[in-house]
Amino acid sequence: MAKRELGTRTEQYTDGDIAIKIRGLHKSFRLPTEKAFGLKQAIFNRLRGVKGYREQKVLKGIDLEIKKGEFVGIVGRNGSGKSTLLKTLAGIYYPEKGEIIVDGNLVPFIELGVGFNPELTGRENVYLNGALLGFSNEEMDKMYDEIWDFAELRDFQDQKLKNYSSGMQVRLAFSIAIRAKGDILLLDEVLAVGDAAFQQKCNDYFESLHGNQTVILVTHTMSNVRKFCDRAILIEDGKVKLDGGPKEVADAYENLWKK
Amino acid sequence: MKIPNVLCKKNRILLKELTKTDFKLRYQGSVLGYLWALLRPLMMFAILYVVFSKLLRWGNDIEHYPVYLLIGTTMWSFFTECTQQGIQAIVHRGDLIRKISFPKYIVVVSATLTAVINMLINLGVILIFALINGVTPSWTWLLVPLFLLELYFLSLGIAFLLGAINVKYRDVTSIWDVLIQALFYAIPIIYPVAMVIEHSALAAKILLLNPIAQAIQDVRYNLIASDTVITTWNLVENPFVKVLPFLLVFVLLVLAAIYFRRKSKFFAEEI
Repeated sequence: MAKRELGTRTEQYTDGDIAIKIRGLHKSFRLPTEKAFGLKQAIFNRLRGVKGYREQKVLKGIDLEIKKGEFVGIVGRNGSGKSTLLKTLAGIYYPEKGEIIVDGNLVPFIELGVGFNPELTGRENVYLNGALLGFSNEEMDKMYDEIWDFAELRDFQDQKLKNYSSGMQVRLAFSIAIRAKGDILLLDEVLAVGDAAFQQKCNDYFESLHGNQTVILVTHTMSNVRKFCDRAILIEDGKVKLDGGPKEVADAYENLWKK
Repeated sequence: MKIPNVLCKKNRILLKELTKTDFKLRYQGSVLGYLWALLRPLMMFAILYVVFSKLLRWGNDIEHYPVYLLIGTTMWSFFTECTQQGIQAIVHRGDLIRKISFPKYIVVVSATLTAVINMLINLGVILIFALINGVTPSWTWLLVPLFLLELYFLSLGIAFLLGAINVKYRDVTSIWDVLIQALFYAIPIIYPVAMVIEHSALAAKILLLNPIAQAIQDVRYNLIASDTVITTWNLVENPFVKVLPFLLVFVLLVLAAIYFRRKSKFFAEEI
């Protein structure tokens, strides 16, 4: 197999103004063609000189700088590369070309409740989820009460997660997410959870983040972009198409369909 | 190349939480729960003991043969559990790997730690069993952890190497299951080494160069403290050949770790 060249992703902790710096970021995936899974096919493919995959370019040179304290919305159609960008920022995918510098403690929420297990109690799940996000037990002890208070599920903390309704599970996961104290929060489409009252609470929380916390939010809901973001970025076909004020970018996004 | 701080606090906490979860979930929903971890090797021992010692009358010339057999079955269970869980760990935890960034080796190690805990508890059972059987405690017992560690390192090496390949080629799991069956007979667990020597001394030497066989025989030798146990040390004369099993474990673990580290960058997109 051809050796893959790689870009870099570094984490640092400085007093600079820039939270995230991305330069010339490329990422492509090798998608297996037809039946390239399994040992038999791999041997056949090798014998016939077939590669067994095709290269799918997803990010095609992204340059971006995000300042500390900025609330940035990332919008774009399905398949435009938003989630790949977020996952590469989070260190889940390895950058193929280019450079990412993250300054500060980055807490990613690609999905809420990562590692949640239905057979564990709410309490156990909170600690497990916390450990996955990189928090120590002492840090979790400090956040613990706030999490349950925000979720309004204190009576259920020693129940197994499988006995929670799906709404309750999401509320717990969301409460961990917003109590998690990181320097940079990455959120992927997680705003719409719970009933109306809980959503109001979440909205209040997001407004309170304004100016105090670096947040990168991937979303399809333009009202949220207009309401919360200081700045928005429209991604189209793996490139930054527009980078500007939230209203301007939200309008441009909505106009994508009106052409 | 930057050497990652593998034991930093963040990683230790994650390892602890994942191991705790694995451990809690493994025996959930069964009435006897954790007791199964103890019962499995004991039951395997009971079956093998009845068949081979009572019916076939093997091992009659080995002192404390029941203890000898129990050591073999327990260490074998440890090896199979460690490798089987370790190889599948990355695929099992695919949901985590796709959604969060953390050092992937943690998943493999945490999957094998349950087997380590089981092994330690079973070691207690072995010691009690040995005392009941009339084995006199000796200083050589202190050497036992060394060989258990050797076996663990070998299991980890296999888990890293095959676990990384398993991400792309799931056939590895099935191949390993079959291989383990064959390996069971290639290691003197149920039959005494003396039986092999009767046929061919060379074959016995080759058998004992397998690190698993070497570790099992060494634990037996040091626990039972009897010269009726044949080990790599008292069978193979050449001092360079003697250390081959250790060398093999070391080289495998290092190469497997390097390979795993290189491949782990792409686990998230390949799972």
